Amino acid sequence: MIELLRVENLTKKFGELTAVDACSFTVKEGSITALIGPNGSGKTTVFNLITGYLPSDSGKVEFAGSSIRKQSPGSLYRKGLTRTFQQARVFADLTVQENLVVAGGGKWTNLFGRRITAEDQSRAAELLDEFKLSHVADLYASELSWGQRKLLEFASVLMSKPRLVLLDEPTAGVNPILIETMATHIRSYNAAGVTFLIVEHDMSFVMRVCDPVIVLDRGKTIAVGDPETVQSDPRVLDAYLGD
Amino acid sequence: MKLSKKGASPFFTRSGLMRGGVLIAVLIVMPQLFPQHWIWNMMFFTVLYAAMSVAWNLIGGFAGYPSLGHAAFFGIGAYATASIFKSSEILTNGWQPFFMLPLVGLGCAILALPIGYIAMRVRANIFAIVTITLLFVAQTLGYNLKSITGGAQGAGLSVAPFHLDIFEQPFYFAAATLLLFAMGIAYFITKTKLGMALTSIRADEDKARGVGVRTTGIKVITFAVSVGITGMAGGIWAYYLGFIYPQFAFDPLITIAIVLMTFLGGRATVWGPVLGAAILMPAQQLLAYYVGGSQIYLIAYAAIFLLIMLLLPRGILPTFLNKRRMDSMATKGDLSGTSTTPVTTGGSKS
Amino acid sequence: MHTLIQGIILGVLTGGVYALMASGQTLIFGVMKVVNLAQGAFVIASAYLAFSLFTQFGIDPLVAVLITTPLMFGIGVVGHWLFLRPLRSEDANQLSLLITFALAMLVEGILSMTYRTTYRSINTSYANKAFDIGGFSVSAVRLYGFIVSCVLLIVLYIVLQKTRFGRAIRATVQNPQSATLLGVDSVRVKAYGFGLGISTAAASGSIYGLLFPFNSGSHYDLISRLLSVVVLGGLGSIGGAVLAGVIIGVVSSVAAVTWSPTWSEMTFFVVLILVLLVRPQGMFGRVERGAL
Ligand SMILES: Nc1ncnc2c1ncn2[C@@H]1O[C@H](COP(=O)(O)OP(=O)(O)OP(=O)(O)O)[C@@H](O)[C@H]1O
Ligand SMILES: [Mg+2]
Repeated sequence: MIELLRVENLTKKFGELTAVDACSFTVKEGSITALIGPNGSGKTTVFNLITGYLPSDSGKVEFAGSSIRKQSPGSLYRKGLTRTFQQARVFADLTVQENLVVAGGGKWTNLFGRRITAEDQSRAAELLDEFKLSHVADLYASELSWGQRKLLEFASVLMSKPRLVLLDEPTAGVNPILIETMATHIRSYNAAGVTFLIVEHDMSFVMRVCDPVIVLDRGKTIAVGDPETVQSDPRVLDAYLGD
Repeated sequence: MKLSKKGASPFFTRSGLMRGGVLIAVLIVMPQLFPQHWIWNMMFFTVLYAAMSVAWNLIGGFAGYPSLGHAAFFGIGAYATASIFKSSEILTNGWQPFFMLPLVGLGCAILALPIGYIAMRVRANIFAIVTITLLFVAQTLGYNLKSITGGAQGAGLSVAPFHLDIFEQPFYFAAATLLLFAMGIAYFITKTKLGMALTSIRADEDKARGVGVRTTGIKVITFAVSVGITGMAGGIWAYYLGFIYPQFAFDPLITIAIVLMTFLGGRATVWGPVLGAAILMPAQQLLAYYVGGSQIYLIAYAAIFLLIMLLLPRGILPTFLNKRRMDSMATKGDLSGTSTTPVTTGGSKS
Repeated sequence: MHTLIQGIILGVLTGGVYALMASGQTLIFGVMKVVNLAQGAFVIASAYLAFSLFTQFGIDPLVAVLITTPLMFGIGVVGHWLFLRPLRSEDANQLSLLITFALAMLVEGILSMTYRTTYRSINTSYANKAFDIGGFSVSAVRLYGFIVSCVLLIVLYIVLQKTRFGRAIRATVQNPQSATLLGVDSVRVKAYGFGLGISTAAASGSIYGLLFPFNSGSHYDLISRLLSVVVLGGLGSIGGAVLAGVIIGVVSSVAAVTWSPTWSEMTFFVVLILVLLVRPQGMFGRVERGAL
């Protein structure tokens, strides 16, 4: 398997605080990689740096072999690198269906085309169906429950047929049935060729779904390996129980 | 239960076409019923402000970038027209200034491109700062570029050679055409992906950028179109008055008036600003007739605006539409779908 | 050369006043993430108050500060409670801009009703006095105004650094979420923070009234300058605002003596545009984006 994402010595400081400290890891194409670590260890910040939402101080990020440091989130999205947010971010004033369509990309000339074309409709319908959101397709996203928003955000980043999807705590605050749905979706999209990098606190979810697991502590990578090895690694236990 | 209609969303809906037709009919017939000059005058200002409110709504409502500097472009349009038609030689039948308007609008729009680009690189806050500053700068230029504007003494245009009995009519119809043009653009926006993109920018611009929406281009062009229409309105206004002063051409009162009209009727809708203008402009004209004095407008506009923000922040039309939507959903029972997943907030952190 | 140094002295003195006005403005942004477009209007309102206190009761404008400051603080707190607190969070940012704009109009309208629109100036006994310092003439009002501004900036600094209220404000500026977690009552902090920001308008108004003739419409000029200062300093940074105030003061004053007084009014706009092109977050601003 080839490396799809390579992060090398990535560093980000917020004033005094070094949120990400010379962090390095790779994500292999076709894998479902987990990125775990205690609260505040810098996982979300790593996502922000990779996806261009924050500028990094130093270090390298390569996606599919070329450097992507300093690229904007939009151009990365068009290259097939997408993400979700810990606090699901959906467009409150758009309907569920429109949330998907607006994320669908396409040429700029489409801007002057119909709001929803027949093609958009069928593409969205597929995802809506899969994510059990069809019955709320015409509600505004602001009218959805927390869990539904998480699902919607997940579904919407899939509209652009991405290569690598970064999920920030996809199951946080989602009810157990939906968590199973999430796991199923992740596996089936993975089987279809999408690579995942997932930040997750729910260890049983990580054990069931992900391999390998990268552990972050105070902005540094402290362990990498399959779930079992990582779980029994003393440094990891230390990081979680240490303070 | 599935609400989605099958197939693509249409460009023209029957109700949309019908509403448009009714508006055109009203715009044509209304003034014929009341031939008094003061009514024509009032209708002229109503329609002109409606056009400007619809234009402001493009950037301030749909995109969520509240511009406070539209009055600057109104003034620029006014002075551009004034300086082209200073002498009466090029005025033959009196219609030339109207035909010149598209050029004036285009000029304003082109001027707005770099300004919009700089002002919208960061966020709505900076945009508001730049636009309000722009208004002041335009005002200062208006007073000081005496060769073009005549300074505080004002600038005169050649008088329109229309018969006095029907003097207001050409201006009224020019403004009505501008209104229809602006509404056409607003309608187009709501029916195309452009509208969706603008809404996503308003809702969460970072996220929109992150899902590939071309935010910068869309914002800047929308701003340009918006101020282009405003500049044309300024041109009509200047020609109508025949003599303009910087104080009135670059009047912050214009900004607050169109913002208020938009918010009263309902921002990010096609008809809201028109409704707002139709309520406020006649009210202002009547107030002027009975009370006089423009300080009163300032206080009245500001006070009404603050009241609306507190009591009816979404405006008349959206409040009404939302209520209708809720009622129809309640009768269909579609909202039941949302309760299948419990609402939980905050993350479950291990 | 002599005129240049004279210009710089003048600029520093005027800049001190801008610094005071802008510190209130940027404080409000730091605490509430609201650009207060009414700041200029409150300065002018204070100038009128000082004018009335002087003409009616003979109170010196610089002494009147003791009366107008608490008054402006109260107006700020009430204004926040009435108009800004009720905003729903989703579009609070956009609406608060428009609300402060409407407040500015309201204040302007009320002022022009009460005082008409003729230009006023406050003519104290020392209005035309000037000191000779090392061969440079320094007008008394400018010097007094500068001193009062500096004193008030120091008071503001002490309030922010040494009091519990000040710590709560700074914590909120740093990170609103964690401040709330640490038990800071965010609504109260915002209300008082807004009040504190507006209260700096009181003294600024007195000094402005001494320095320049003003009418109810003067606040557009003022707010444009203030906003440029605040953007140059970096929105939310008080130190930045003070430094930027002095910089813009010097730049426009030097432009006035070496170039043309009329066009020096434009320098702040040029500065604003340059800042936005080169460094949109300003000298000391933070880039805030993405997160979560
Ligand atoms: N924009 C920001 N400005 C300042 N500090 C920040 C910012 N974003 C994150 N931090 C700080 O950086 C550190 C790492 O935060 P981050 O959100 O990346 O952690 P995390 O691993 O995602 O935590 P969690 O599990 O709680 O989501 C934290 O101490 C946080 O307070
Ligand atoms: Mg996180």
